[in-house]
This record gives sequence, C-alpha cells and structure tokens, in this order.
Amino acid sequence: MIRLDKVSKTYRTDKVETLALKDIDLSVQKGEFVAMMGPSGCGKSTLLNIIGLLDRPTHGGIAVGGIPIKRYADRQLARLRNSTFGFIFQSFHLIPDLRVIDNVELPLLYRSMGGAERRRLAREALQRVGLGARMDHYPNQLSGGQQQRVAIARAIVGNPQVLLADEPTGNLDSKMGAEIMDILLKLNAEGTTIVMVTHDEREAAQVGRIVRLFDGQLVAREAAYAA
Amino acid sequence: MLRNYLLTAYKVFMRRKLFTAINMGCIVLTLVVLMVISALLDTAFWPTGVEGKSGRMLQVYLMVSERINDKGQRAGMRNGPLGYKTIARYLKPMKSVERVAAITTTSTVSVYQGDRVSRLDLRRVDADYWKIMDFRLRSGRLPDEEDDRLGRMVAVVNATTAHRLFPDRAAVGERISVAGQAFEIIGVVDDVIHLNAYADIWAPLATFPSTNYRNEVTGDFAALLLARSPADLPRIRAEVERIARTVEPVGNEIFGKTTIMADTKLDIFSRLLLGRTNEADSGADRLLATIAGGMFLFMLLPALNLVNLNMGRIMERSAEIGVRKAFGATSLQLAGQLVVENVLLCLAGGVVGLACAQGALWWLEAAQLIPYLEVHINLKVFGWGMLVAFVFGLLSGVIPAWKMSRLDPVHALKGAA
Repeated sequence: MIRLDKVSKTYRTDKVETLALKDIDLSVQKGEFVAMMGPSGCGKSTLLNIIGLLDRPTHGGIAVGGIPIKRYADRQLARLRNSTFGFIFQSFHLIPDLRVIDNVELPLLYRSMGGAERRRLAREALQRVGLGARMDHYPNQLSGGQQQRVAIARAIVGNPQVLLADEPTGNLDSKMGAEIMDILLKLNAEGTTIVMVTHDEREAAQVGRIVRLFDGQLVAREAAYAA
Repeated sequence: MLRNYLLTAYKVFMRRKLFTAINMGCIVLTLVVLMVISALLDTAFWPTGVEGKSGRMLQVYLMVSERINDKGQRAGMRNGPLGYKTIARYLKPMKSVERVAAITTTSTVSVYQGDRVSRLDLRRVDADYWKIMDFRLRSGRLPDEEDDRLGRMVAVVNATTAHRLFPDRAAVGERISVAGQAFEIIGVVDDVIHLNAYADIWAPLATFPSTNYRNEVTGDFAALLLARSPADLPRIRAEVERIARTVEPVGNEIFGKTTIMADTKLDIFSRLLLGRTNEADSGADRLLATIAGGMFLFMLLPALNLVNLNMGRIMERSAEIGVRKAFGATSLQLAGQLVVENVLLCLAGGVVGLACAQGALWWLEAAQLIPYLEVHINLKVFGWGMLVAFVFGLLSGVIPAWKMSRLDPVHALKGAA
C-alpha cells in the first residue's frame, strides 16, 4: 500500500541542520494497523507527515499503491491526499466557524460531487462515529472526545484507504481515549489501513504492528498481536 | 463549495467584528470619496440633463491674439472671451456644424420686484441656445427667433427664482425690473447648474441696452457649436482653427496670430485648473491621467493597508489552511477561497459605501454648497463603484491569499497548534 525507501528528512536553518529522519525503510500493507512509538522529538510525526504526503523527504522515495510520487506536483499530491488519506490530529483541528456537518463535508468539497451527495455522506460518517444527533452543533459545543469523533468522521467521509492518526487520544482522558481507540479498531476491522502515532503502550498493544523510532531511525518492528 | 466559502466568510467576519468594521470602514470611506467625486465629475462632464447634447458640442470661451516679433517670439498677447461680432461673422456661418449659439457669461444683476431687490445671475442668449440646451420647461414658453428679431423684452427664470420673486402666484406673465430694464417673464424652467446652462434669469441678446455689442470682436460672449455627430468634432476644431487665422485685427493693434479655442467641457475645466488659457492644448489628457493616477493611488494606499490587515487575519487561520490542504485543497483553490471572502467583504463595503455616497450627495444638494446642484448616483456610476469595490477586494486579497495558500500543510498546521 505504502512503501518508504531510504527516506531521510533534514531541517535546515541558516546555522543549524537537524536530521529528523534517517534512512527509513518501511512498508505498510493494505488493512494493517501500525502504531509508531518513540520518545518525543524522535521523528514520529515527521514520518507520519511524509507518509501522508504533507511533507516531502529530503532524500529517498515514497510509493503509494506501487506508484512513486517523487515527481508529483503540488496539485497531484493534493488530489492523492484527497482520494487516499484521511487525517486525525491530536488537537482535532476542526474549523470552529463551521457546524459539525460542514466540518465533516470538508474533504468532499475538493471532489466533483453535488451538495446533496456530500451531505448524505457526511451524515453517514457522523452516524458511524455516534454523532448523528450533533450535526448542527459547533465544535466548541462538544466535548474533546466528541470533537475527536467529528475529526474521525471527517477523516473517513471520503472513504480513504489509509487513516493517519497523530496521537489521536493525546488530548483526551482515558475513557474518551478508549472510545476513540474502539472506533479506530472497528474501522481497521472493516478494512481501513491505519497508521497511528502514540505514546500509549496499552493502545499500541491493541494494534497489529508497532514501529519504534529513536533519533530519527527505525529501531524496532514488532507485532503487537497476531493480526 | 461556494456555500461553504460564504458560510466560512460570514463566520470569520462575525468572529472578528472590529477587524471587519475597520476593513469595511476603510472601503466605505474610500468608496464614498470616489463615488461622490465620480458623480460630480459625471454631472459636470458627461452629456446629461440640460446639457445632454454636450457629447457633440464644443464651447468657444476663449480667443487668444498674439503679437509675434521678428524673431518669431511672442511679443504681446490679449486673451479673453469673444465679441458677438466674431461669433456672428465667423462662427455662425460655419457649414460643418448643426447649430451655433451665442451666449454671454453670467453677470450678477439687481432685480427689482415690488419693494424687494434680489441679486441674481443673468445670462443673455440667442434663440439657438434654447435649441441646443434641453431645458425642462415648467410653464410658459421659451424665447424664439421672433423674440430676437423684434427685440422683445422677455425673460425666462428658473424655478427657484420664480418662487423667490413670486412666492404666492405664477411667475409667467409677471413683469420684473432687471438692472433698470423691464422684462416680462414668459417661461419657467428647472434649476440647473451645468457650465453653459447655469443662470437665474435668461434674456434674449437683443435686450442689451445698446447695440454696440454687435460690433465687438472681443467682449463677454461665448459660442456653443453643436455638431451633427461626435465624430465631427475634430473636423469642426480644424475649421475653427482655420477661421481664427482670418479674424480681423482688434482696433489699432496688430496681432500676428489669433487662436480661437473650441473646447469640450473637460478642456475648459482643464484650462482653468492648469492655467492653460493661452495654449492651444488644454492639458485635458494630462489632467485625466493625473485624476486617474490620483484615484488609483487613493485606492492603492488603503488596499496596501488592507493587505497587511488581511495577512494578519489569514495568518490566524493557518490551521484551517493546513487542514484544508491536508484534505486535498490545492493552493489555487485556497487562494480562490480567500480572495472570494475578501471580494465579498469589499462588495458588501461597496454596497454600504454606495448608500453612504448617496447620503453624502443628498447632503451636498440640500446644503446648496453648489447652487442648484442636482447629482445622482446613476447605474453607470453604481457599476463603476462595484467594479472599484471588486478591484479593491482583489488588490487587497490576492497577495496575502496567494502567500498563505503556498504554505506547506505541515507548517500551516503547526502555526496554529
């Protein structure tokens, strides 16, 4: 599904050069649930951003569905992100000025799709995460857990092949975090490939594979449970 | 998608009420000034109302006579309005024009009516004048060739003067004493302010106390040359230039070169403003370029200010930009969204600005700072106003929108975290 080949990422300023990732080789298969772990600053989020085509590697290549995307222009990357990936962020990143349903519709705005169809899909996505009754609320009228569920609905509304979750439970208490994990596990069971950054060993233990990073390098690949 | 854009735009504007108010205020103020100026210019120079034919009309207000020395340099000069003789002998017979009217500039006279004395502006005109101008007659009739030929002591007054002199009865048929001469009012017309139309009272040329004016080459007259079509104006100008070379010397003085200025209204305004009363070129092109440049600068400065304000406003939304990019928005789509928002704000400002401009014009009319001013924001000016607002929106929105839309999604998302 996704293949990273000797991916490195270096951040440069006038005086400092920081190596965020070094020679990462990683494959994510269709239907996998991969947890990325490691100490803060080890490059987990950078790696997730590169997988999600939000950032470009300094060296190395990425292939999505077997197709290398190195020469893709910004417009092509945007189209690929729209069709292939769904993103879930630690701080939700919902647009506060829009109602829940309008937030969920957002990825569909960038597809050629009629308004009624968008609305139907957004409603369905919200029902899948148990927020069918909150469509007309604004994000600030919801709890943190509910906001993250809206973010999940937004991520899945376009039926992406891969969900990328950057510490999706990081801002939630354990009960709400568990609810979000349940939703992600259910989505994975339905066939969605998920790559998740987490610090929580208990969450990581529930997924198919754990990838550990340290100082920008992969240090371990381990199966968390028999998938 | 547009609905989503509009919704976001509305919410953003409402979230930042002060910013929105400053933004709108800036646009409204600029537009009000531009709209009022353009409406005044439109009234002054565009063929409209009583001077609806001014698009195919030239005015001759100035004649310049120069004495040239042996070295070909200007040794002396006389400039000023024309005498009636110049108009009657040289301009009236012109074949290339449809009609030529002789008019005087306005002079303030004392009008005695009962035991009251009023100071009013009198203009003497011939019968052709009434056929060139499109006065709206309220009552009575306008003077004709017969009145000119017979030297009838008749006058036309405007509505304000009629009401002022005869508040309790109709003015037509009444008699007034103007600078010692008795006139019968035969018509009442609407108040007007235009260059050639303005006056309180109009009387035929033949009502001059003496006929001396008929022999004067220079004097207090102007001529209105009505062309058959606007396309004839350059040809008429050339003919006037040719005629000027045949004008007789004035008195005993010997002038080598005479120029008669056949001007549009803009030319006249330009001559007065730029002091180019002696030059053949009125400087109208330069004046227009200066006005256009001034208006552009007047728009550009607040637009630059808005660029700064917009940059701040859009920066606050970098998370939204990051999210939209992450979910597939291209830079072009995002720039489009932000520009649409800004253009909407500017168009809303444009509508408010137009309403305020209309209010300002009503006030100008009511205050009578310019007598008889009647000025409207017509559809053309409205269209220009909205275009100005649109340009404003583009000018102040494109740069920040494009800059922000180029942010890479990771940085945009981090910027808000």
